[in-house]
Amino acid sequence: MKRLAATLFALALVLPASAFAQDTATETDFDPAHEWEFKTWGPELKIGPIDMSINKAVAYLMLGTIVSIVVGLVFMRVRIGRGPTRRQAVGETIYEVAQVQVAEQGLPTKAIGRWFPYVATLMIFIWVINMLGFIPLPLSDERWEIGGIRVPTLAIFAATSTLSVTLALALMTFVFTHVEGIRENGARKYFKSWIPDVPKGMLPMIVPLEILGQFMRLVSLSVRLYANMLAGHMLILTFIGLIFLVTPWVFPISVVLGSVFYLFEVVIVVSIQAYIFAALSAIYIGSAIEPEH
Amino acid sequence: MLSSFFFLAAAEDGADAGKAIALALGIGLGSLGAGIGIGNIFGSMIQAVARQPELRGELTGIQWLGFALTEAVVFYGLIGGLLAYVLV
Repeated sequence: MKRLAATLFALALVLPASAFAQDTATETDFDPAHEWEFKTWGPELKIGPIDMSINKAVAYLMLGTIVSIVVGLVFMRVRIGRGPTRRQAVGETIYEVAQVQVAEQGLPTKAIGRWFPYVATLMIFIWVINMLGFIPLPLSDERWEIGGIRVPTLAIFAATSTLSVTLALALMTFVFTHVEGIRENGARKYFKSWIPDVPKGMLPMIVPLEILGQFMRLVSLSVRLYANMLAGHMLILTFIGLIFLVTPWVFPISVVLGSVFYLFEVVIVVSIQAYIFAALSAIYIGSAIEPEH
Repeated sequence: MLSSFFFLAAAEDGADAGKAIALALGIGLGSLGAGIGIGNIFGSMIQAVARQPELRGELTGIQWLGFALTEAVVFYGLIGGLLAYVLV
C-alpha cells in the first residue's frame, strides 16, 4: 500500500514536466492572473440573466462538497467500541475543536444546540476547500495530450480565492445574524441595541457608523478569506513561474522560497482561515442573540 | 516585492512602471504595520504564558484570532492595490 502510494506520488511529480514542455510554445508571457479567468465547461446554462454554467471554480466547489460529506461520514460515523480507533480519535478531535474553540467562544449556551451545526459545517467546508486548493488536481482550463486523449493539466486553484464564493458564505452569516437577533429579541429591542449609550448630540454621528459597521462585517469577513487565498496562490504561482526564467541564479532562490511559502500556507493559513471564519460567524450570531454583551 | 518585479518586467511604458512601484510601495507599507502588530501579539502571548503557563490552552485560540485579524490588513492593502493597478 505504501509502495503503491509512493509510486503514484513519483508519477504525479513526473507528469507536469511534459505538460510544461507543451505549454511553453503557446504561452509566451507568463502571468499568474490568467488562472482567474474562467472558461465555461460544457454547455452554457443560463436562467434569465443568471449564469449557471459550470467552470473551474464551480467544479472545485462540487468536489469540496463531496469531500466534506465523505469526511463527515468517515470520521463521524464510527462504530464506538471498547478501544477507540484512530478514525474515532480524529473525529473526536475535529468535534472538540468545533465545539470548544469555535462554538463556545462566541455562542451563548442556549443557542449552541441550534447554531453548532452551522458553524461546524462552515469550519469543515472551508477547511476542505482551502486544502483542495493546494493539492495539484487535473482541473484546469489548459489541456495537454496523453495517449491521444486531451486531459486538463495539473494546477492549483481554490474556490475560496474567488470573491463570489466567500461573499455567498459571508452573506449567509449576515442574514442568519439579523434573523436570529430579531427572532430572539424582537425587532424593536434588537435594533435598539445598535444604539450605544452616548450623549444625545452625538447620536446622528454614531448611529450611521454603527449601521455601516454591520455592513463592514460582511466585507471584512468575505474579503479576509478571499484575499488570503488569492495572495497565497498568486505568490506560489509567481515562484513557480520564476523557476522557468532563463536567469540561472533565480532558480534556487525561487525553489526554496516557494517551498517555504507553500508549507506556510498549507500548515498555518488554511486551518487558521477556516477557524477564523467559523469563529467570527459564531461571535456575530452570538452577539446578535445577546446584544448586551 | 517579487510580484512587483514581475509587473515591472512586463511593463512597457512609464505609466505601468509607476503603477507597479505604487502597488509595491503600498503593499510594503501595509505589511510594515501588520508586521508590528503580529510581533506584538506573539510577544504578549510569550509573556502571558511565561507568567501563567496554565492559561496556555485558553490563550491559544485568542492568539490565532488576533493573528488572523491583523494579518488580513495586509491583504486589504493588496486587494486595494491590485484593484488600483487593474482599474486605473
